[in-house]
Amino acid sequence: MLHKHRLFTLVLVLLLVAAILGGCGGGQTQSAAETIKIGFLGAQTGGHASYGIETLKGMQMAVEDINAAGGLLGKQVEIIVEDHGSKHSEAASVTQKLITQGAVAIIGDPTTGITKLAAPIAQGAGVVLLSAGAVGEGVVEFGDYIYRDTLLDRVAVPVVTKYLAEELGWKKVVVITSKNNDYSVSQTALFKKALADNGIEIVAEQSIQDGDQNFSAQVTAISQKEFDGIVFTGYYTEGGLFMKEVRSQGLKQVLVGGDGLLSPVLWEMGGEATEGSMVFTGFAADPERATGKTLEFIKKYQEKNGGKLPDMFSAQGYDAVMLIADAIKKAESADPAKFKEALRETKDWQGVTGTITFGPDREPIKSPVYLLEVKNQQFAVKAVLDVK
Amino acid sequence: MLEEALRHFINPYYIQVLTLLGIYIVAAIGLHLITGVTGQLSFGHAAFLGIGAYTAAICTMQLGVPYLLALLAAGVMAALAGVLVGFPSLRLTGDYLGIATLGFGEIVRVIFTNLEITGGARGLAGIPRKTDIVIVYLAVVLTIWAVYRLQKSRYGRALAAVREDEIAAECMGVNSLWYKVSAFAIGSFIAGVAGGLYAHFLQYLNPVDFGFARSFEILTFVVLGGLGSLPGVILGTTVLGLAPEILRFGAVYRMMLYGVLMVLVMIFRPQGLLGGLNLAQVWRRIVRGGRPRVPAA
Repeated sequence: MLHKHRLFTLVLVLLLVAAILGGCGGGQTQSAAETIKIGFLGAQTGGHASYGIETLKGMQMAVEDINAAGGLLGKQVEIIVEDHGSKHSEAASVTQKLITQGAVAIIGDPTTGITKLAAPIAQGAGVVLLSAGAVGEGVVEFGDYIYRDTLLDRVAVPVVTKYLAEELGWKKVVVITSKNNDYSVSQTALFKKALADNGIEIVAEQSIQDGDQNFSAQVTAISQKEFDGIVFTGYYTEGGLFMKEVRSQGLKQVLVGGDGLLSPVLWEMGGEATEGSMVFTGFAADPERATGKTLEFIKKYQEKNGGKLPDMFSAQGYDAVMLIADAIKKAESADPAKFKEALRETKDWQGVTGTITFGPDREPIKSPVYLLEVKNQQFAVKAVLDVK
Repeated sequence: MLEEALRHFINPYYIQVLTLLGIYIVAAIGLHLITGVTGQLSFGHAAFLGIGAYTAAICTMQLGVPYLLALLAAGVMAALAGVLVGFPSLRLTGDYLGIATLGFGEIVRVIFTNLEITGGARGLAGIPRKTDIVIVYLAVVLTIWAVYRLQKSRYGRALAAVREDEIAAECMGVNSLWYKVSAFAIGSFIAGVAGGLYAHFLQYLNPVDFGFARSFEILTFVVLGGLGSLPGVILGTTVLGLAPEILRFGAVYRMMLYGVLMVLVMIFRPQGLLGGLNLAQVWRRIVRGGRPRVPAA
C-alpha cells in the first residue's frame, strides 16, 4: 500500500511542476499603460501562414501611420503578436494570452473557423474582435464585441452574378462545388439563389473535394452540356487543375469564382488554361486606377516590400486597425465597452479597400467589388462593381 | 464557481493552457492503455477524441442532455467505435494494425466533414462552455487512479502479457482477443471523455482538429514519455503539451525548437523520458537516503 501512496505523491509533484512550467512560459509584459494595445491573432507558421503574415504587415503599416500622426488619445499604439501555427487548440490559448496582456482589440483571425473559436473568448472577456478575413456565415452572431471588415459573399455574389447576366450575357452555367470545403458549400448556395434571380439556368452541378487531383470524371460529365461559363466555388489549387482538365477536353468556357481562387497558384497549377478566369474580391491593388488613400497605401506597401503589390489581407489588416482607431477617437475612450458602440455606428467609412458600413446586424457592407481576370498569368482588374 | 475563484490567483491564460493540458493528459492515458500497456499500435486515437467531442456537443446542444451525462455518452460512443477497431487487431499486428487504425481515423474525419449534424466542414460552433480547470483535473486524477488500479490488477497483468508475448499469453490461458478488444474499448472510452471535455472547453469543433496530425501528436506524447509507463505518459504530455507555449520566445522558429526537443529526447532517452524506470523503486531509494541508481539505457 505504501508505494502506491508514493506514486500518487509523485504524480502530484509532476502536476505541480507542470503548473510551474506553465507559469514560466507566460512572459507577461508589464509595460506601462501609456500604450493602447491591439492584438494580432493569426498564423505566422502552418497552413494559413500567408494570410496571417500579410494581415500583420497591413496592421503594422496602420500603426506606424497612427503613431506618426501623434497616436491615439495622446498614447502610442502597440501591436502584440502571437503565432498560433494554424492550430485550433493553440488559437484559443493565444486569444486568451492577448487578452491577458491587455489588448483592447484583437484583429483576426483571417479564417472563419478560428474566428469562431476566438469569438466566445473575446466576447466573454469584453474585448473587441475584428476579423480581417472571415467571410463565412455565423461570425458576428457571437455577440456585440465581434466584427469583421471583409467583403461578404452574400454582398458580392449577387453583384457579380448580375454582371455575368447583364454585361457578359451568360444564360446557362455549370456549378462546381468542393464538398469538404465550408467556404465552397456556402458560396454555392448563394450563387444558386443569385443565378435564379438573374435568370441564369444551372445546366449541371458537379462536386469535387479539396485535395482532389483528377477531375476527368466531372469534366466529362459537364462536357455533354451546353453552357456559357463555369461557376467554381472552391480554392485555387483545385481551380487551376480543374481548368487544365477543361481545356484538355477541348472546352472553351471560362471560370468565375470567389477570392478562394485568389492566388498565383491558380495559374501555377493550371497554366494557360486559366487565362480569362474571373475572380471577385474585396480589394485589388491597381496603381493605375487607385486614388487617394488606396493609392497612398499601395505606394507605401511597395516601398516596404520591394515593389510587390499588396493583397487583400494586408489591405484589410490596415483597414481593421484604422476602424478601431477611429472608433476609439470617436468614443474618446480606449475602453472596449465604450468604443464598440462607436464601431457599430460606422457608416460610409472610407478605407483603403473601399467604403465600409456596418449594417443593423453589424455585418459589413462593402463597396466596391473588384472582378479580376487572369491575363498573361497576372490578375488584372476587369470591372469594379458598385454595391448599392 | 471554483474556477472563478482561481482566476483571482492565476492568470486566465495559464488556466487556459493548463486546462487544455489536462485534457491532453486524459486523452494520452487512453492511448497509453492501448499502445503502452497492451502493445497495440494505434494511429487513429484522434478519431476517438473526435467521436467523443461531437457526441458530447450534439448531446448538449440538440438533445439537452446534462453535461456530465453527455461526457458519459461521449465515452460510450467512443468505446463502441473502439470495439469496432479492436477486432482487426485479432489478425493484424504491429505496423499493419497501425495502418488499419490510420485508415479508420481518416474515415471518421471524412464522415465528420460530410455529415449535416456535425456542421460539416464549417465546423460546429456555439457549444456551451461547461468544462473548467477543476472538472478537467478531477477527470485527470480519476483517470490516473483508474488506469493505475487497472494496470496493477489481474486484468492489467494479462494486458502486459499480451504485449510481451501473445503466444505465450494464449498458452497460459489468456484470451488475447478479449483483452485486446477490451483495451481498445477502455482506451477509447477515456479518449471519448477527453473529447467531451475538449468540446465544452473550446466551444468550437472542426473535423481538421481530429485528423492524422492530432493522432500522431498524442502518440508522440506517449512514446516520448516512455511507452508503458503511466508517470512517463503524464510527463511526456506535460513536456510536449506545454512546449509550444513555453517556446514562444522562439517566434517563428518555435516549432523547429519543438522538433529539436523531440530528436534530443529520442537520442538520449530512446526508451522515453521515464521508460524502463521503476519510479516506486527510485522513490524508495531517495526516501531511504540511498543514492538512486538509474538503470542504464
